[in-house]
Amino acid sequence: MPCKTGLNAPLGRRENLETIIKVENLRKVYKIGTEKVIALGCVNLEIHKGEICCILGTSGSGKSTLLNMLAGLEKPTKGHIYIGKHDIPKLNEKQLAKLRQKQIGVVFQSYNLLPALTAQENVGLPLMFRGVSKAKRNKAAKEMLVHVGLGKRMKHKPTQMSGGQQQRVGIARAFVCKPQIVFADEPTGNLDTKTTKEVMDIMVGICRQYQMTLVLVTHDPSIAQYADRIVTLIDGAIVSDVENQSIAEPVYQEGAKAPAEGEQPAGEAQREAVDSAEQESKPEENQNPDTEHNGGVEE
Amino acid sequence: MKISDQIIMCLQNLFRRKVRTALTVFGVIIGTCAIVVMVSLGVGMQASQDAMLAEMGDLTMITINNYSGRKENGDKLILDDAALHQIQQMKHVDVVTPFYEPNTWRAFTLYGGNGKRYKSELYTVVGVYPEALEKMGFKLNKGAFLSENQGDTIEILGGYYFPYDFQDTRKKRNNTVYYWNTKEDGSMPDPFIDIMKENKLVLQINNAKENGKTIDMKVKGVGILEYDSQNYQTGYGIFVSVKQLKALEEKYNKLNNIKASEDEKSNYTTAKVKVTDMKYVEEVQAAIDEMGYDTYSMENIRKPMQEQARKQQMTLGGLGAISLFVAALSITNTMVMSIYERTREIGVMKVLGCMVGNIRSVFLMEAGVIGFMGGVIGIIFSYIISYIINLVGNGLTGGFSGGMSMGGGVYMDMGMGMGGGMAQTSIIPWWLALGALVFATLIGLISGYSPANRAVKISALEAIKNE
Repeated sequence: MPCKTGLNAPLGRRENLETIIKVENLRKVYKIGTEKVIALGCVNLEIHKGEICCILGTSGSGKSTLLNMLAGLEKPTKGHIYIGKHDIPKLNEKQLAKLRQKQIGVVFQSYNLLPALTAQENVGLPLMFRGVSKAKRNKAAKEMLVHVGLGKRMKHKPTQMSGGQQQRVGIARAFVCKPQIVFADEPTGNLDTKTTKEVMDIMVGICRQYQMTLVLVTHDPSIAQYADRIVTLIDGAIVSDVENQSIAEPVYQEGAKAPAEGEQPAGEAQREAVDSAEQESKPEENQNPDTEHNGGVEE
Repeated sequence: MKISDQIIMCLQNLFRRKVRTALTVFGVIIGTCAIVVMVSLGVGMQASQDAMLAEMGDLTMITINNYSGRKENGDKLILDDAALHQIQQMKHVDVVTPFYEPNTWRAFTLYGGNGKRYKSELYTVVGVYPEALEKMGFKLNKGAFLSENQGDTIEILGGYYFPYDFQDTRKKRNNTVYYWNTKEDGSMPDPFIDIMKENKLVLQINNAKENGKTIDMKVKGVGILEYDSQNYQTGYGIFVSVKQLKALEEKYNKLNNIKASEDEKSNYTTAKVKVTDMKYVEEVQAAIDEMGYDTYSMENIRKPMQEQARKQQMTLGGLGAISLFVAALSITNTMVMSIYERTREIGVMKVLGCMVGNIRSVFLMEAGVIGFMGGVIGIIFSYIISYIINLVGNGLTGGFSGGMSMGGGVYMDMGMGMGGGMAQTSIIPWWLALGALVFATLIGLISGYSPANRAVKISALEAIKNE
């Protein structure tokens, strides 16, 4: 029985798109001692192919729980998550590993590079797990690193790199297999403003180039401006699910605040941020959002 | 994930923590050394025992005695051709022969040369099946073995020193050639007669009465045996066909009016049985015992010695095993620590799509490699230690029996037979080295098993958590 959802998809255009992730009646309850904490009440969500979807929420809103369950890291208390034909909670470890190898890339907040390996080896890891030969994965890793602007740092270990560089290695690693879906959990949480912009530009750029689906989790509304669509979570429920009107120009708004819980509808908070972003954006970098978005769908 | 990648990853992980890996490997080295060296002492002990026994007698030979002609319960018991035939038919029996040695002193005398110039009192005459000697393992020095079918001429096969048994009856002094009076070039002196070329050999059947009638039998020497310390008869004795010996004995009895019973005539008193392999000796011996005969073989000594040696080996090996057990604990500890440290890494690997089986095998491999490396280095050290033990041991005890050093009382007096020489206190045979290597690797894998399973169970969520 479907539960009461927060919002339906607001735009008709989206119905033409191929659904890649489908979340049905998702519920997650943690038991802490005798007390039950509801992390996710009842979430219904459809994410489409080629979409850059941002899940926005404060800490404790359940956004990370949702992402963890989407990526198969946690089992829901109730509900279904479909990626393609697979119902994620029902997969065993082996099937999950296969799915991750083929379809899923993950970017972490704390980069999570293996300290003993060089940048190139780190990027090659997912390929190694797939059983790709060393020569091939080195080549792919090199291409990817050049793509993220680290062509000259391939032999460096993570400890010899700055945070931004490390995250770029992390991005290269997530994208090296050309997965259909990339999950990014607060990818810029540990970075300063300038690096955040660099990293977001690279990530979104690659997604657009390969028509990948990106699920971006953040508490930062200005990061959300990079997305096509912004889903806002409060206390484990979707309170708004809107098409982002300002995706023409990915902009990072310095000092933007997350919507305070219960303060005002999340959608409005976003719009405010969008407006201010638009005012600052430079005209020559402005592109038609529809053209770009539709271009992704056609392929 | 490819096997080669798994191996590389495992080695990288080990190399990252050099000191800890080295210390753990060192533990395994000590454990392996302890086991290998301890067992090698046991093996050395056993080897010196076997060498000792081999020197004392052929390990596949069973000797049957039947002097009394009676079983323990008093029943008649004869060791004759029929009985020997029955034994020959037993499984695992290679060859059987009587080893009949009647008391021939003053019964027979052997003469050679013109006018019976040279004489030998035949103290030791052994009657055997002519065809059996070669199979029993007797070696010829020259000539041939006894032929199977003989006529009236008595064929003799002399022991190695038998030619020196002749005395020159025409001389009062220097009437004997001693084999130890070697010639200038070191070879043995020529005896008075060469029994193989001498055609005037005569065996005289003596009469106990003075000036009584004697009988001369024509004799032909067919060969000379090599001396074999296990059978004193190959020294000054001679071998003849048992049939001819019985006939000679009968003639002597007739000449001297001695009445012998039919049983005495056919009983051989002693016989020897050669078994195809050492391991069947016990079985064959038991079967012959069953027939009622007294038997004796090296097995009678070997078995209790072996049992004791085995017990000692077990004790020694057990002592070694304790230290390897401690090493196993340290491997487990190292692996648990390493997994604890790498929790996040393992989580990341899982999120990036690494199969749990691969994670398990990488960790198992790490533990196995620790065991393997410890095993290899441990074996190398063991060989060095073994070499030193042998060097020092031989230096101190002058190559005394291996049993000595570990306090086996039995070997003390037996060890004397060994003499000085190449006795090794510690021997590492190839199976011990290989076994230790496999064992050490296995210990590594077993100790790594539970930590590896722990690694597999680590939640991928750990990787996502932000500190």
